[in-house]
This record gives sequence, C-alpha cells and structure tokens, in this order.
Amino acid sequence: MYHRTILSRFAAAAFAGASLFASTAAFAGEVTIWCWDPNFNVAIMKEAGARYTAKHPETTFNIVDFAKADVEQKLQTALSSGTTDALPDIVLIEDYGAQKYLQSFPGAFAELSGTVDYSGFAPYKVQLMTVDGKVYGMPFDSGVTGFYYRKDYLEQAGFKPADVQDITWDRFIEIGKQVEEKTGKKMMGLDITDAGFTRILMQSAGQWYFDADGNLNIENNTALKAALETQQKILQAGVYKPSSGWTEWVGSFTSGDVATVTTGVWITGTVKAQADQAGKWGVAPIPSLGIEGAGHASNLGGSSWYVLESSAEKADAIAFLNETYAKDIDFYQKILTERGAVGSLMAARTGDAYMKADDFFGGEKVWQNFSDWLSKVPPVNYGIFTNEVDTAVTAHLPSLAQGAKVDEVLKEIQSQAEGQIQ
Amino acid sequence: MTPTPAPSARTWRFLPAASTYIALSIAAFVSLFPFVWMLISATNTSIDIIKGKTSFGDAFSTNVTNFFTLVDVPLVFWNSAKVAILTTLLTIAVSSLAGYGFEMFRSKMRDHIYSLVLLTLMVPFAALMIPLFMMMGRAGLINTHVAILLPTIASAFIIFYFRQSTKAFPTELRDAAKVDGLKEWQIFLYIYVPVMRSTFAAAFVIVFMTSWNNYLWPLIVLQSNETKTITLVVSSLASAYYPDFGVVMIGTILATLPTLLVFFIMQRQFVAGMLGSVK
Amino acid sequence: MALAKTGGLKRYYDVNGWLFIAPALTLIGIFLIYPIFRSLFLSFYSGKGMMLKFAGFGNVTRLSNDPVFLKALANTTTFFVVQVPIMIVLALILASLLNTDRLKFSGFFRTAIFLPCVASLVAYSVLFKSMFSVDGVINQALMAVGLIGTPIGWLTEPFWAKVLVILAITWRWTGYNMIFYLAALQNIDKSIYEAARIDGVPAWARFVHLTIPMLKPVILFTTIISTIGTIQLFDEVYNLTEGKGGPADATITLSLYIYNLTFRFMPSFGYAATISYVIVVMVAVLSFLQFYAARDRS
Repeated sequence: MYHRTILSRFAAAAFAGASLFASTAAFAGEVTIWCWDPNFNVAIMKEAGARYTAKHPETTFNIVDFAKADVEQKLQTALSSGTTDALPDIVLIEDYGAQKYLQSFPGAFAELSGTVDYSGFAPYKVQLMTVDGKVYGMPFDSGVTGFYYRKDYLEQAGFKPADVQDITWDRFIEIGKQVEEKTGKKMMGLDITDAGFTRILMQSAGQWYFDADGNLNIENNTALKAALETQQKILQAGVYKPSSGWTEWVGSFTSGDVATVTTGVWITGTVKAQADQAGKWGVAPIPSLGIEGAGHASNLGGSSWYVLESSAEKADAIAFLNETYAKDIDFYQKILTERGAVGSLMAARTGDAYMKADDFFGGEKVWQNFSDWLSKVPPVNYGIFTNEVDTAVTAHLPSLAQGAKVDEVLKEIQSQAEGQIQ
Repeated sequence: MTPTPAPSARTWRFLPAASTYIALSIAAFVSLFPFVWMLISATNTSIDIIKGKTSFGDAFSTNVTNFFTLVDVPLVFWNSAKVAILTTLLTIAVSSLAGYGFEMFRSKMRDHIYSLVLLTLMVPFAALMIPLFMMMGRAGLINTHVAILLPTIASAFIIFYFRQSTKAFPTELRDAAKVDGLKEWQIFLYIYVPVMRSTFAAAFVIVFMTSWNNYLWPLIVLQSNETKTITLVVSSLASAYYPDFGVVMIGTILATLPTLLVFFIMQRQFVAGMLGSVK
Repeated sequence: MALAKTGGLKRYYDVNGWLFIAPALTLIGIFLIYPIFRSLFLSFYSGKGMMLKFAGFGNVTRLSNDPVFLKALANTTTFFVVQVPIMIVLALILASLLNTDRLKFSGFFRTAIFLPCVASLVAYSVLFKSMFSVDGVINQALMAVGLIGTPIGWLTEPFWAKVLVILAITWRWTGYNMIFYLAALQNIDKSIYEAARIDGVPAWARFVHLTIPMLKPVILFTTIISTIGTIQLFDEVYNLTEGKGGPADATITLSLYIYNLTFRFMPSFGYAATISYVIVVMVAVLSFLQFYAARDRS
C-alpha cells in the first residue's frame, strides 16, 4: 500500500508543525460527551457529570456542544472512516436513528445489557436500542407528546379547558375556525418542511413507516393515511400558520401567534421560557385520529446515550451512566424541574417533582399527566430507514396542500421510499 | 429646466447618466441591505427578529453580553485567524510558485499536467470528504487545524490565477536578472514577488475570504469546542434547539468583520491585482 | 532556442520547472487525486455503512430508478440554467455601468456591489432565512408597496424556494464576477468606445457588439467557474433549508443528496460516490461545451 508509506512520512513531517497546533488530547479520567441542545441535554449532562464528579473526583467530564445535525454527521464520518480516536466516549443519538447506527456499524457501540437493569425503563425505549437481543444504550429523554394550548385565546373564542380534553382532530379544526374568527389567531403552526407532525399522528394510532419485521409499511398504513388526511383537512381549512423550518415554527408560538402546539414534552422548557405567558397555557392529551387503534398518546423524538466501544474511558463512562441515569431518582427530579426533561426511568415518576403542580400551567399537575401518557405511547419499530422514508413523506406534504388525493400521495411516497431503501 | 440650445443632445447625454446612477443605486441598495438588516437585527430580541421588526431596538448590549457568555470569543477568533492566515500564506506560496513554474517553464509534459490540475476544479468536495477524512484519521490529524489546512493549500483556482497573471510579468526583467547571475529562486523572490505584489494582494483577499468562511470541511474535521472556528460557532448557534437570533446576529457580525476589514485594507491592491489577471 | 537544446541548459530549465510546481503537485496528488480514485473505487461497492460488498455497476442502475436523484439532477440543472446566465448578464451590465467615464461615487458603487461575496456563507444564509421568513422584512415590504396581497412562502412553497435559492446565490456572487469584468473592461482602450459613441452607436449596441466580444475570454472563464460552483451547489441550500433541500425536495441538489446519503441516511458511500461522479461528468461536459461554443465563434 504505497499511500500508507507516503502518508506516514508525510504525517511525520506534518507532526513537527502540528505541535504548534495544540490539539486537545483527552486526559485520562476525562469522559468526553457529544450532545446538542445547550438548554436541554447539554445542561442535563453537565448536571449529571457534576453529580458524578462530586462522588468520584477522579472522573471529570468534557461536554461538547454541537448542533444536532453536526453531531450525527461527525459520528457517521468517524465511524465510516474507522477513525475512532476522533470519537467521544459518550454520544447522544436520537431514537429514530439508533437502529441505523447500531446495524450499520456493528461493534462500534458498547453493549450495556448485563451492566444496566433495563426492566426499570419504558419498554419502547429499550426496544429501539436492542439488536439481536443485546442492548446498547442508556435510555434518556422521552418524546411523549402533549397538546399545549393557550387558555386565554380559547376562552375568548368561548372554549373552556374541558372542551379540548380528549377531542378528535376534526373537532380541533372546528375549534380552530372559531378561534380564528374570534381572536384572529391561527390554531397551530405547521412546518411544511418537516414530517414531525405526521409522525405524531401516525404513531398515535400505533403504526409506523415499517411493520414489526422492518418491512416498508406505506400504502396499506391506515394510520399514515389518516394522518395525511387530517393534515390535508388542516391545510384546506387554513387554520394553521405556515412556517419554514424549526426556528420559525418555534417562533409561531413563543410570539403568541398561534393558539396551540402539539409536540414532544421537551418543548416545555421553550414554552415556559416566555415568562410573560405564565398562567396562559394548559396541556391536554393530543387529539385522536378517530380511527381504529387511535389514542391520545404519541411520541416525537427523544434520544438516548451510547458509549463508544473504542472509548479509552469505556468503563468509567458506563459506570457513570449506570449510576446517574439508571439509579439516581433525585437527579431525574432535578432535570424535570429545571429543564422539563421527562426521563424514561419508570421509578423516577414516583418522585416529588412529578407530583408537583406547575404554576406556569395554572397549577395543573402536568408532569403527572405526561408520565401517565408516557405509559400509553404505542411502541413501534423505528427500523433503520426512518430518515429516508421521512424525507419521502416530507417531500410530498406540499402536494397535500394543493389537494392531491391521499391514496395517490401514499403510492408516490411508497415508490420514492423503495428507491431510497437499498 | 432652462431651455438649452441643443436640448436633444443634452437629454441624450443626461438620460443614460441618470439611469446609470439609478441602476447602480438599486444594485448597491440590494447588495448592502442584508448588511443593514444584520445591524438592525443585532439590536433586537429574538422574537422581534422572527417577526420581522424593521427598526433598531434596545437589545444590542444584552445580545452582546449573551454572545460573550456563550462563546469563548478570543479563543474562537484565534482559531479562525490562525487557520485563515496560515492557509492564505501557504496557499499563496504554493500557488504562486506553481503559477510561475507553469508559465515560465513551458513544456509539453507540464502543460498536460496543468490541464489535469484545472480538471480537478470539477471534482465536487462531497466526493472527497470520506477519503480525506480517512487519510486525516490515519495520520492522526483529526481535530487539529493542520487537517483543515492541508487539503485546501493546493488550489487549482489560485494556481490558474497566478499563471494568468504571470503572463503579464515582463520577461525582460527575468532575462536581465539572469544576465546578472541571479538563480531562478532569487528571481522569483526578489523580482517576481515585488513586481507582482498587487497580484499577491488580490490572491490574499480571495484566499483569506474563502478560508475564513470555510464551513463544511472544518465542520467534519474539528471535534472539540477548543478547536472550533467562528463559522462553526455561528452555525451551531443558529441551529440550536431554540436559537436566540439576537445572539446569532452578533455572531454573524463578528464573523463578517475580519473579511470586511481585510477587503477594505487591501481594496486598492486587490482591484489592481484583478486588473493584472485578466489581461 | 538553439542554446536550450544543449544538454546542461535544458536540464537546468527542466529541473527548475519541476521544482517550482513540485509542492503544488505533491499536495494535489495526495489531497485531490488520491481521494478521487478512492471514491471511484468506492462507487463500485454498495452496502450499509462500512459493510461494503462489490456491486459492479449496481449503483449506476440504482441511479435511473431513484426519483430523488432525478429530482436533484433536475434541480441542479435548473439552478445552473437559470442562475448562471442571469448572474453573468447582470454582472456584465453592472461592470459596464461602473466603467462609465467620469462616474461619480464609482468607488462606493463598486465596493457596495462587491461586498456580498465577503459575507460568510453561514452568516448570509442566516440573514436570508430571517429576511425571507413568512413574516419577514421582504414580505412586509412587498405587501407595503402592494406587489402581493398575502405573504409569499419563500421557504414553504416549492417554486418560491427555488427562486429564493437563485436570489441568494445571485446576491452573493454577482459582485464577484463583476470585478473580473470591470478589471477586463478597464484594460480596454477607451477610445474604441468614444469612437463608437461619436458614430452614434447606442449604449446597448456598444454593449453587445463591443463589450461582450472583447470580454469573451473572461466571460468564458467566469461562466465555467460559476457553472462548476452551481453544479456543486451545497452550502447555501444546506443552510437555508436546514439541510433538507425542501420543501418537496424542490431545492435538493446533487451535492446535498450526496451529503444526505453519506451523513443523514443509512450511509451508502458507494452510491454517494457514484453520484459525485455524475457531477464530475456533468461539469466536464458543460465546460467542454462552453469552450467549444466560445471557440466556434471566434
């Protein structure tokens, strides 16, 4: 291999200069962690690290904050090139992508079954990190969904909180029309460049892009069909404020332009960050699709921690995750109170913080509700191609707005997805 | 309008002038507006920015404070400056030598190689990423600034630029120097470089801008907070779960300032250098 | 030349020739040529992640059945066909306006129009995103002057998203190209124009019959560079659409698709490498055609 010799000579020469560029080599006993949200998982990991270091002073933490897409891209580049020394010790992976990483890079992640007692976690979280009976991750936050609504806007339109409990999406649209008529506010923000809303609706009826065996499930997916039909109704009724991309979508409710938000519980921190809206928000179960198997609980996103097999601090990293995330009930209370993080350790739900009423939501016991809904989230198989199919679905959302027939849209999604999954 | 002896001639001359100024003013306005918008936005809160507030606000100092709390500004600037300046100097050194070599020492073989070099312009960076990353990994250079430098130094575009400019280099100077017994490298260093300094200045501006703004490759290679450059910091702030646009705007201003500065400082030489290259 | 043929001098000449280009060639060899071949090698393989199997021309067959690839190809072609000519013509017009004799504030105009290409890519994407959001300043302005009644979904409607991408690239690169033309124009003898003007040749005719032919080499050069840039378009689309190329894949480009196949999707390096070769072939063919077209007329 001639390039190797050239390279090593070259590298030797380059190294002379490289000392000038002090690269931050990891210190022994320092666990490096990659995650992405400074207000959420980064802050939570810092808290977890501080707690662990307090008890085990020899272990310190270097928590690196990148954008989520950047974390995924770096992880994928490093694993693909086999350059493991560039990797951290622990990495956060969104649940949708877990199987993709575990199956395309076998041996890259440390097996944790045997060390961690998984019986204490929400089963759907454990399932998505299991390959061939081996479990690889530490379940972290749940994306259990809620229906956040502005009490003040609804009231102006003549609705009480009771009127939005356990409703259907058809009813949601009716209410939306009246809200707009009375308040001039749209009922929801809809990001047409993202299929997140579609996924919430689909999973609420217990189905996914794949069946239990991982086969593509599009054309005959009644839940996806109902989800797209519902979205088309919303689009046609015009009760939404369009946004392009996440930031604009977040802006639609933080700025008070829309009356409701249906999304994962992790948004709570963002909602509560608007201090001037305290007391104006309520949380209800999400509306139902009204088809067979449809419920009021679903999931969006959520992520888990994984230890890299190549990590020099592997043992420390595993011990750390196990001690905090699998055992420390008090830690879960703190991250719930401070960050609105609903963990997936079931025992944590018996803690004080989960029982407390939240003043921001007018004294509702929202956390109790969320943990109740969490247990009702239908488990589905995210498979290894969720990103691909999701892209196909996203690509066809605009055609719904133009009145395309849902059956035909499904067919097109199916054919595009088939092209992607190879 | 006072009547003039030859009104038709006057209007003929006047009209195009007016339309020239109007057209250029529109172009200048369109070009500058986003910069103005950046300044306006930097003084507003995140929500106001999303709502499209068009007047100056009073959140500027809050945004600046927040930016400086979130970001280790001196370190990030040092990283960016180090990478950009070294890349620029090395690129110019390597490319000017090559441009000089290709033009002054013509041979069939080297002309063929030159065409090959130009062909590399067609290769999309996306096609090189994975192999390059693997190489850097094997050489143990991941997460170092050297890894950003290396693949960007040899730029076919800048080599092309230097070769084109070299065509304007007066060969009599070289011949005279040879008679005086100067070696080829001495001619390059003591005659070519000073004579072509505006060419070098223009290359400096172009390479510095490209390098300072480089995004994708540093994003792939740099792994820790300590090595990040300003572009990476801005993009990471902008794609946070809940980005504070006021803070992001401060970032965009700080990311743009150095390139603006370099451009303004070297503007005169830059334009002169460009003149030389397209003769 | 007789002297050059004598052994010693010729070798001296040759050794120097190689020495001057050696550093560049070494770097290009290691960091460009080698990875290109490595990619070519990869394009004959397929599989998940690093579990690659030899696939022969399987990836090429896959191309023809892949709607997203076809869409990316169509989008890339659209961007190139629409954007490059607009930008080149605009840059030419601006350059010749700036070249007007005794133009006041010419320094200001030149600097202002050139300035966009100084802006950092990430910075300007962020700026454009906020300016062109639904409630953004552009929609507000258009509504205020009565051009539109309801806000345009610049990033939510497929057609407008394409328009926005074109606007963004044009904004950033027109001034850059203009500088090349301006430089070339200032090297042209002013008396030719003066003579034409005195002969009563109108401005547009001077532009078409004098400016363009004289700038042909520069136009060719910038067109090729812009073509290469547009066909490899990635950064702008990536930053404007959160890496998705949406809505409805309306702005996905070949490079973005390669990126997705490598970093967002189940990694298919072989297939991604195959698509990168599609770009290489496209650029090669187009550059050849442009050279050919330019040569033919002269």
